[in-house]
Amino acid sequence: MSTTLPLVPSLPLALRGKLADVVGDDHLITDPDRLLVYESDGLTQYRFSPSAVILPGSAAELQEAVRILHLEGRAFVARGAGTGLSGGALATGGAVVIGTARLNRILEVDPANRLARVEPGVVNTELTRVTRPHGLIYAPDPSSQSACTLGGNVAENSGGPHCLKYGVTSRYVQALTVILPDGRSARLEGASRGWRGPDWIGLFVGSEGCFGVVTEIEVGLIPEPAGVRTLLGIFDSLEGAGRAVTAIISSGILPAALEIVDQETIRAVEASVFAAGYPTDAGAALVVELDGVEEGLDAELELAATCVRDEGASEVRIAQSDEERTALWAGRKRAFGAMGRIAPDLLVQDATVPRSRLPAVLRRIGEIGDRYDLTIANVFHAGDGNLHPNLLFDRNDAEELARVEAASREIMEVCIEVGGTITGEHGVGIDKRGYMERVLSPEVLHAMSEVRSALDPFGLCNPGKVLPDELPARAELPNEPLPALDAGPIEVESDRHAAALLAAASREGVSVVIGGARSSGAPPGPHLRLSARGLRGVIDHSPPDLTVTVGAGTPVGELQEALLASTQWFPLDPPGGGATTIGQVLAGGLDGPLCTGYGRLRDHLLGATLVTGEGRVLELGGRVVKNVAGFDLLRLTVGSRGALGLITRLTLRLFPLPAVDRTLVWTIEDPLEAARIGMRMAATGSPVAALEWIAGEFGGESPSDGRLPVGALVAARLHGNRPSVEAMARTLEAAAGVGPRVLEGEESAGWWERRARREGTGAVSTVVSTLASRAESVAEATHRWVDLGGRASLHLVGGGVRLDLDPAGERAVDRARALLDEVARAGGVTPAPSPELSGVLGVFDPAGILPGRWRESWS
Amino acid sequence: MELRAALEEQKDRLGHCVHCGFCLPVCPTYIQLGDEADSPRGRLHLMRAVVEGRLEPESDAYQLHLDRCLGCRACETVCPSGVEYGFLLERARALAVEARRPPLPVRLLPALMARDGARSVALGMGRVIRGTGIPETMAGRLPTTGLWGRVGLAMGMLASSRPSRLDAGSDAGKAKTRPRNDPPSRGRVAMLTGCVQSGLFAHVNRATRTVLEANGWEVVEVTGQGCCGALHAHSGRLDQARELARVNVSAFTAAGVDHVISNAAGCGALLRESGELLEDEAAEAMAKSVRDISELLAGEGREPVRGAPLPLKVAYDPPCHLHHAQRVTTSPLRLLESIPELELVPIPGAEECCGGAGIYGITHQDLGGRVGRRKTDAILTTGCDVVATGNPGCQMQIGAGLLAAGERIRVVHPVELLAESYRRAGWS
Repeated sequence: MSTTLPLVPSLPLALRGKLADVVGDDHLITDPDRLLVYESDGLTQYRFSPSAVILPGSAAELQEAVRILHLEGRAFVARGAGTGLSGGALATGGAVVIGTARLNRILEVDPANRLARVEPGVVNTELTRVTRPHGLIYAPDPSSQSACTLGGNVAENSGGPHCLKYGVTSRYVQALTVILPDGRSARLEGASRGWRGPDWIGLFVGSEGCFGVVTEIEVGLIPEPAGVRTLLGIFDSLEGAGRAVTAIISSGILPAALEIVDQETIRAVEASVFAAGYPTDAGAALVVELDGVEEGLDAELELAATCVRDEGASEVRIAQSDEERTALWAGRKRAFGAMGRIAPDLLVQDATVPRSRLPAVLRRIGEIGDRYDLTIANVFHAGDGNLHPNLLFDRNDAEELARVEAASREIMEVCIEVGGTITGEHGVGIDKRGYMERVLSPEVLHAMSEVRSALDPFGLCNPGKVLPDELPARAELPNEPLPALDAGPIEVESDRHAAALLAAASREGVSVVIGGARSSGAPPGPHLRLSARGLRGVIDHSPPDLTVTVGAGTPVGELQEALLASTQWFPLDPPGGGATTIGQVLAGGLDGPLCTGYGRLRDHLLGATLVTGEGRVLELGGRVVKNVAGFDLLRLTVGSRGALGLITRLTLRLFPLPAVDRTLVWTIEDPLEAARIGMRMAATGSPVAALEWIAGEFGGESPSDGRLPVGALVAARLHGNRPSVEAMARTLEAAAGVGPRVLEGEESAGWWERRARREGTGAVSTVVSTLASRAESVAEATHRWVDLGGRASLHLVGGGVRLDLDPAGERAVDRARALLDEVARAGGVTPAPSPELSGVLGVFDPAGILPGRWRESWS
Repeated sequence: MELRAALEEQKDRLGHCVHCGFCLPVCPTYIQLGDEADSPRGRLHLMRAVVEGRLEPESDAYQLHLDRCLGCRACETVCPSGVEYGFLLERARALAVEARRPPLPVRLLPALMARDGARSVALGMGRVIRGTGIPETMAGRLPTTGLWGRVGLAMGMLASSRPSRLDAGSDAGKAKTRPRNDPPSRGRVAMLTGCVQSGLFAHVNRATRTVLEANGWEVVEVTGQGCCGALHAHSGRLDQARELARVNVSAFTAAGVDHVISNAAGCGALLRESGELLEDEAAEAMAKSVRDISELLAGEGREPVRGAPLPLKVAYDPPCHLHHAQRVTTSPLRLLESIPELELVPIPGAEECCGGAGIYGITHQDLGGRVGRRKTDAILTTGCDVVATGNPGCQMQIGAGLLAAGERIRVVHPVELLAESYRRAGWS
């Protein structure tokens, strides 16, 4: 008998024994025949057999296995359900596969805090199945969600049809336990868990398994939307569908999903066993899904239907029931499988382009298909500009395969040319490494490579993925003299200017302070002080794409002013209000009450330019809404407080201005009763923009007739169309049992602005992370702070309390410190110690001149 | 090598698999083992490797992983590409058993079922042993592992095949005197009486006839029918399965009925697929007329006539070969819902296999036991009085599982409940 043996170095017997001791004989696979099934994942163009597969049954087993593999110098790759479409889980070079299928326990569901703690092998839909009885769902819904695992979602930073409204995986991960490539375990926590520093979670999510293996994931859940409406528009042409998308976005609606299938796809689906009843002569079909407060949906649906009809839809179908909704979606959801039926092989691309360029790009893809005589069927997340051209072929036809490869490359070039990126959600893996140089500068590629080396110096963790083997040459560092020190802050004028200053400081070993001393403290000895204040103003605003690029020194208020004419805005109300600059919000990780309804700035950060401590200019991210090309260094800058360098500009994803902005304010004599009322409101699951418990003097108002500090406020901010805002207001008033003061429009915005301006101004000013479920005891502890003359604002959804105080004298400072500890104890969140990842900071600041190196701690 | 060629002919069918992985989380063996080689995608990959000449059918990998498949076909329900997994599995197994002779117990059962005489003797002995009440006493008292575990399971299965008394409501067992139902005549049907079904579940066949007649169907006796051959097809003995299928096709075709009725999901699935199995027109025509008993009574817009109240809490567990293979999903529920005062309770993960799969629990004691316990645990969360399922293998497997757990919950065929409701109405 002869079996074809793949050319894979087999595992030495001694190593086999060690691994078997850890995971057990039953969970170690070394027979080459049995390993065949692991040679591909969801991408079948490549085959790499692993040298072994281990299936650990616990985090401890997994850690021990990684430790052994590290000591033996054996490469390894984690694999969830193997549904990835970029070959990210392939065992290149005979790596050992670490399967997470047996790590499939849901460890905890905490409905009060809208949290779940899971092992990496839990299937995406399984989590929602378990949380739904609590009225909560896990929002990211990749199309493979019935099979793909949450560990895989973390590795790929998965999106899905509904991420247009709800965002991608990164937004929901609150904490991770990671086994680093050397077998050490690291606990990474986010801002909601008390971490103040570079966004390690942001860096790890989407790292495609190159930075370690996740063993525990803590995710945030959201209340299940009360209502859903689904509409299907049939168009004669793809352009019409594209225009309808733009019209819907411009109308101020933020749909939960906007999906288009083109004529080829419709024909494939209708010709298959999955016929969905779409007319085969249609040029395109557009699925629009709206969700949210039931009362507001019909008006939105009407508006969306009008947009669809006005752009020339020949037919509009509206789902009246769950079955009809499923039927409308069928043509979209079944597309991938249907294509599997009509062609033996299928290559799926995953490019993202600015939404306004969609029609032009689709036309050019059509031309490429014609030129290469190929069937290209397009399925795409139109709201995100995320395209999935499917190239149909037969791999046994070598000539056709060559045409597919050439056409695929051309499609990619077209997408890059219009400012797009090579992968929106499938990841780079092994498949798109060759395109990385086309979208990322040599500087960025080197930085990514160095970060990877800092975390995995021996290159054992998923080698051969994401980055190309050879990196292009990088530019010389500027070589200009260091200016005089301590002559006051230098206002940076350009990237080049910042690069010259930082390179000089780095060369001379002179410490640098970025921004005010307030944000980073001051180093001992002479130092250079840089400010981004001069980098002010909107650089580019593209209303149809809902994106804006601004200088980092732009005050938030100025940005909102500039956007007003387009009826768009960026939902941000940081401490300090409109005077705070965007750069400060980013570097300080400062978010205000609006993060409850909209997420944090990090969740809508599309790109930034970072001048590193070494003086290198990194263009991170881009202008597209979804982008997973390479490691997420962009997210790492959030909360980094100058540790990586100076940020000169940012690109943000914008939102349509809500039709109604209403604030409800309740003044409650008993602060604890106020907290209880607020918790009842939070428990309604109403999609509020903000919901705060506020105590102490603020914004020129006082809780009760100028007598300070008595009582507390509960303030809710509601955004949406009139029916939905009114429905939410009724729900909250019913939960409160008493009527509020109502502010609307400019009054509402002004009220929050005045409040924000008083925040972050105290001599002692800090944020303490707390669990939302502890609001009452936090309020109790906080009220002693207020007695001392302080101000406090607690997020009733999600937790966290911002505290400001101007203590009079040393003793008052001591008391304030003690009170902070008390608040933290009441809040129930113990911040994890800083993970040992300082090597990563060294990539950006090799000379150790930035605050990240000389600051003693992040807290 | 003829069989290898047969599998190679299925290259296109294998090619429909795009490797998406949607089948993984619904596969009972993958759920238990977490090894992709024990998932449908993995097994298809192994089949493809054989077709591509990269793997030998006698290799441990091919043998082990194809053998471990329960054949529940839950993967077909979720497959976005419509891969005909069950069809491919039968051909792949034919190649596997040709390459390596399976162990004796695996060969024994199909051999027994294919021979009328041997079968009646064996099933007759089974009934005698069952009648002593020993199996019921033994089940649940024997160790769960090793040889005694196997014996315990067999005893439990045997015990679970006995007719159940359905004690429910104050008037249990008392027939009311009501005028006999006089339904309109709907048509003529023939019933597959089956091998195990006629040997151990004669009461289910009687109930089937009762409810058919009560609903206006004329039941025609068809002699010359035999074992359907499902057991043989599933274990890779395709030639034997074809032989048996031919016998049934000619017997039922000769009967000239509107529908051929099955009350055993596994047998019904095979009858429905006889066209593909035999590749001839007569078989195709017969296959089209096949219906599950629940479809005839409560499918295609029909509603069963209502009998007397049966105040029982019933958990319905869909047999895989009804739910996944025949895609008959709602009519058994409609049938049960038609019984006055019967309360249906859902079983969590009902569409998952119970682990019965013929004699899987005996040939794959550990794995089968784990799959079975998952089902038993799920059933116990429902607080039901009775479990209803439309396949003898599932009735025995679930029954044995419940007995082993020390539970007295009975497992019956849905038509038994309907027949009992009719009996209480005084119609039979």
